[in-house]
Amino acid sequence: MEIKYTIQGLLVYLTIAAYLLAFVTTVLRRPKIGHAIYLLGFAIAVCAIGYRWYHVRHVPLQNLFEVFLCLGMIYPVSLFCRRVLRVGGYSADMLIGAIVLFPAGFVFNAEPQQLPPALQSWLFSPHVAVYMFSYIFMAKASFQAICQLAGKNPKPGENLLPPEQATYSIVCVGFPLLTLGLILGSYWGKQAWGDYWGWDPKELWSLASWLVFLGYFHFRYMFGKKHPRINSLWVIAGMAAIIITLLWVNLSRLFPGLHSYAS
Amino acid sequence: MHKYRRTIIWLGLVLIIVLIVLSIYGAFIGAEGAEQFFNQPPLVVYWTALATLLIVGIAAFRRLLHMPGLLMIHVGCVLILAGGMWGSRGGHYFQKKLFGIDKIRKGRMAIYEGRSENHVLPDGSQEQKELPFSLKLKDFRLEYYKPAYLLIQTRQGQRWKVPAEAGKEFPLGNDAGTIKIVKSYENLKIGIEEGKSAPFDDPSPGSNPALEVQVTEPGGQISTQYVFERFPGHSHNQDKFSLSYHRVISDYISELQIIEDDKVVAAKDVEVNHPLRFGGYHFYQSSYDDKAGQYTVLQVVSDTGLYVVYAGYWMLCIGAIWHMWLRHIFSKFKVKST
Repeated sequence: MEIKYTIQGLLVYLTIAAYLLAFVTTVLRRPKIGHAIYLLGFAIAVCAIGYRWYHVRHVPLQNLFEVFLCLGMIYPVSLFCRRVLRVGGYSADMLIGAIVLFPAGFVFNAEPQQLPPALQSWLFSPHVAVYMFSYIFMAKASFQAICQLAGKNPKPGENLLPPEQATYSIVCVGFPLLTLGLILGSYWGKQAWGDYWGWDPKELWSLASWLVFLGYFHFRYMFGKKHPRINSLWVIAGMAAIIITLLWVNLSRLFPGLHSYAS
Repeated sequence: MHKYRRTIIWLGLVLIIVLIVLSIYGAFIGAEGAEQFFNQPPLVVYWTALATLLIVGIAAFRRLLHMPGLLMIHVGCVLILAGGMWGSRGGHYFQKKLFGIDKIRKGRMAIYEGRSENHVLPDGSQEQKELPFSLKLKDFRLEYYKPAYLLIQTRQGQRWKVPAEAGKEFPLGNDAGTIKIVKSYENLKIGIEEGKSAPFDDPSPGSNPALEVQVTEPGGQISTQYVFERFPGHSHNQDKFSLSYHRVISDYISELQIIEDDKVVAAKDVEVNHPLRFGGYHFYQSSYDDKAGQYTVLQVVSDTGLYVVYAGYWMLCIGAIWHMWLRHIFSKFKVKST
């Protein structure tokens, strides 16, 4: 664990502080102030990304530091879920934003790197960006699934979906993005390495996460809301597979593969 | 739900769970092991069962015809499986047995600069095969990010990363003095001039990138050092710091021509992410002569089944986006307009 005494580090720490403050303020029943601080945190996160982009001279999605920096821009997804999907968990999003930025601030190496030839492709940004968006949606879905398991329902008057329904709605938004990420990655693999499917550990984990959500849809089609707890467990299992895809395969030396450059 | 439809969905769910377990297992055995594992006969049975169940499911669930998105997702999956199986090792074997199509599935070929080549060494084979056309390598070159850099490290762990630009001087503090980059070489050789050794850039084939560096100590003593990219160099106890020269490759480029009946029928610079497509094969930049840059190694891959897989990808994507996003958006607009 290291503290980054740089402008980049300062921007990350300010975002974390703003998200945490927004969370505390919202929990203390000052939602309007909480929202304003959350928005401020998002603005700082955008500045952090912009600064990084300028600094490294390519879309900052190359390594885990940059990816987690992007994951920290959770605010638009949070707003979309609240306004369009009528899904709660707004204050939890602030906490998720801070948790996601923590490894970027204290764990991952922020040394700028030049893009290796394999990453110099028009597919680099859409492939990673689409995956990042889908991961944020799936993280929100699994939070709703945990709420369902814990028996937490929105308060009457809040005009929000119950957790089981909310989980399904968010997975329906995230799944096409997950599919698109998988397919763009496969097409890119063909362009760069000659195979649209290389049986690489990261590819197999990403296939496993996609399949878990596919299983969720089939199970829910069969039983509907009859077994809400099992429905929720499917989604949580899918999120676990995503975390392994994102972190373990990149960080662990147990599974060296074509994607190891991202560590 | 009708009993047999329920059975199909149950079977589908079981096959999905089996594939999840197999994928996780495959992730633990590495890419090569996983490729072998997923091409074994029991797994071929599994893939066939999955494709068959999808087709049976599409036929059994008539409701799918009224849900174009869901139909496209399932047809897309069938196409991906079919294309994948058709382009697999087993698929190529059957095409050879049934239709006499003897295509190289995957292999490698090395081509020297200025020469033509049509021999490919297929993966897992010792016997070379011939392509129905030749490839000529006009030139192979590496491109580097500019500027390269010189890494200076003191014994106390202090580090400086300075751009390797000739003529530039860098102060390293009161205790360490200054460093000046005098000249950079692509292929440094040492010759003898007037009885003294003299470095020069050799234009003949070969590669020995190096930097000539002038170190000025705090007391004013000046010494010259040569820092090589490929060799760590000698370090002495009295040295205050160690120097290393780094260049980052930005691209590998093979300038290729396709020769058919002694005529150039196509030409392309093959780079990573920019393969050459010709005659049912794709050619990828795979490796090169890292000592002298005299030859390139290309990966040759057959395109059998590829476009069926791509059609499946399109259908899967469009189907998922339509079914989960667009139809809801359109139905909302419809409700609003009525």
